[in-house]
Amino acid sequence: MKPLLHFFLIDDSTFDLFIYEKLLKKSGITDSVKTFNSARDALKYLVSQADSLPESVILLDLQMPDMNGFEFIDEFDHLPQSLHEKIRIFMLSSTIDTRDIDKAKASRHIIDLLPKPLEITTLRNKLEI
Amino acid sequence: MSEKPITILYIDDEEHNLHSFKASFRKQYDITIASSVVTAEEILEKQDFCIILADQRMPIMTGVQFFEKIRTKYPKPIRILITGHTDIGAAIDAINKGEVFRFIDKPWDYGYVENAISHAYDIYKTREDLKERNEELQKANEELDKFVYSASHDLRAPLMSVLGIVNLALLEDDVKSQNEYLELIRQSVKKLDTFIINIIDYYKNARGVPVVTDISFDELVTEVQATIQYLPEYGNLQMTTDIEQDGVFQSDVMKLRIIFNNLINNAIKFQDTSKPNQFVHLKIKSTPKSAKIIIEDNGSGIRESDQDKIFKMFYRAGATNSGSGIGLYIVHEAIAKLGGEISVSSKVGEGSIFEVNIPSIRK
Repeated sequence: MKPLLHFFLIDDSTFDLFIYEKLLKKSGITDSVKTFNSARDALKYLVSQADSLPESVILLDLQMPDMNGFEFIDEFDHLPQSLHEKIRIFMLSSTIDTRDIDKAKASRHIIDLLPKPLEITTLRNKLEI
Repeated sequence: MSEKPITILYIDDEEHNLHSFKASFRKQYDITIASSVVTAEEILEKQDFCIILADQRMPIMTGVQFFEKIRTKYPKPIRILITGHTDIGAAIDAINKGEVFRFIDKPWDYGYVENAISHAYDIYKTREDLKERNEELQKANEELDKFVYSASHDLRAPLMSVLGIVNLALLEDDVKSQNEYLELIRQSVKKLDTFIINIIDYYKNARGVPVVTDISFDELVTEVQATIQYLPEYGNLQMTTDIEQDGVFQSDVMKLRIIFNNLINNAIKFQDTSKPNQFVHLKIKSTPKSAKIIIEDNGSGIRESDQDKIFKMFYRAGATNSGSGIGLYIVHEAIAKLGGEISVSSKVGEGSIFEVNIPSIRK
């Protein structure tokens, strides 16, 4: 059996962090979830843990104060290649704005934009697990 | 006549024409004269005009050729041609190539010139006004676009949270933990409701007709306090008031309610629970001329870099516990509509002081 993936949740809503951490753990997809309610803090963490970071999945909210999801991606782009290889990013948002959807599709770092609320089956399919 | 005088540039190679024109009209208009098209072009580089008058027969180029040359670069001024020898060819060129608004025959008649200038200015003014309206509309459209984008997020996000909680609750076998989920649903629904109320407040403030009445700050504050003191997030907060009202103060009670509601709610929402005695102190000093309202708290405070941005629409300063970022924007708009001002001084970890000054509206 493949080892369980490590998950990062980045969302300014403490509700959504609570909900999705619980959902991910309940579904058995992972037993390791780290949550951030600020994209900037998450970015700092990634940089500081660059060498020891296991293979991870990030579920990234879009609309957040200070640094939004796309701004996070812009910064992520400047991080070393070794980090890019270890991390898979999904945007998780309630947006229905076509500009957001197109922008997420066009980004080379975002695998897909998953609508809220998160459906575990969809996530499993995308991750092929 | 409007406040600003009509600016006119008059070009003629005959100096005495220039001077007699200036002498006749200098009291009415702001006149600049040029004795050649070269000088005229130099002047146009530096200065804007409402109307340009040019003589047809000049060395270097004719009045029509001059107008044709400057038309694209300076499209705003209205062009009038002064001509002594009307020939049909020049007239056709003037209209088709120079897009001239009027012809004035030499020797010109005072009343005729005045009439031509007045009509030319009307057109100039109408075009400028139209341009201004267009710019305003464009700005309003951009704001509306931004509003719809942010509002749709703030309306959908809490609903999607509720849906997420419901999905999670359905996976749960333990009935007891359902209550925890219900509590989360309650909070999320409350958040959505607050946003909807804010949107309605915003709309009422932006579009509603103001109703000016005598204001009793005592009554107003008691009323606002009654709606908030049973909120679960009110906690152990101590709210004190110091209201000093001297004489009749008149204003729009709806807008004042919006202002008090938002500022007090913010103080409650951003209280610092790590402190032993959280407080909000509301001080009002009102005279028949104006009112000063000070709301002071010892809450979490606002970062200096955020202080000039918190009144912007949908700007959210804090990452935790922040709302949609519309509350202070509405407060700012309401105060602006009342002809008042708001300022903030705050220190992270210490607290915030909001000061509002509004004039009394005389009926």
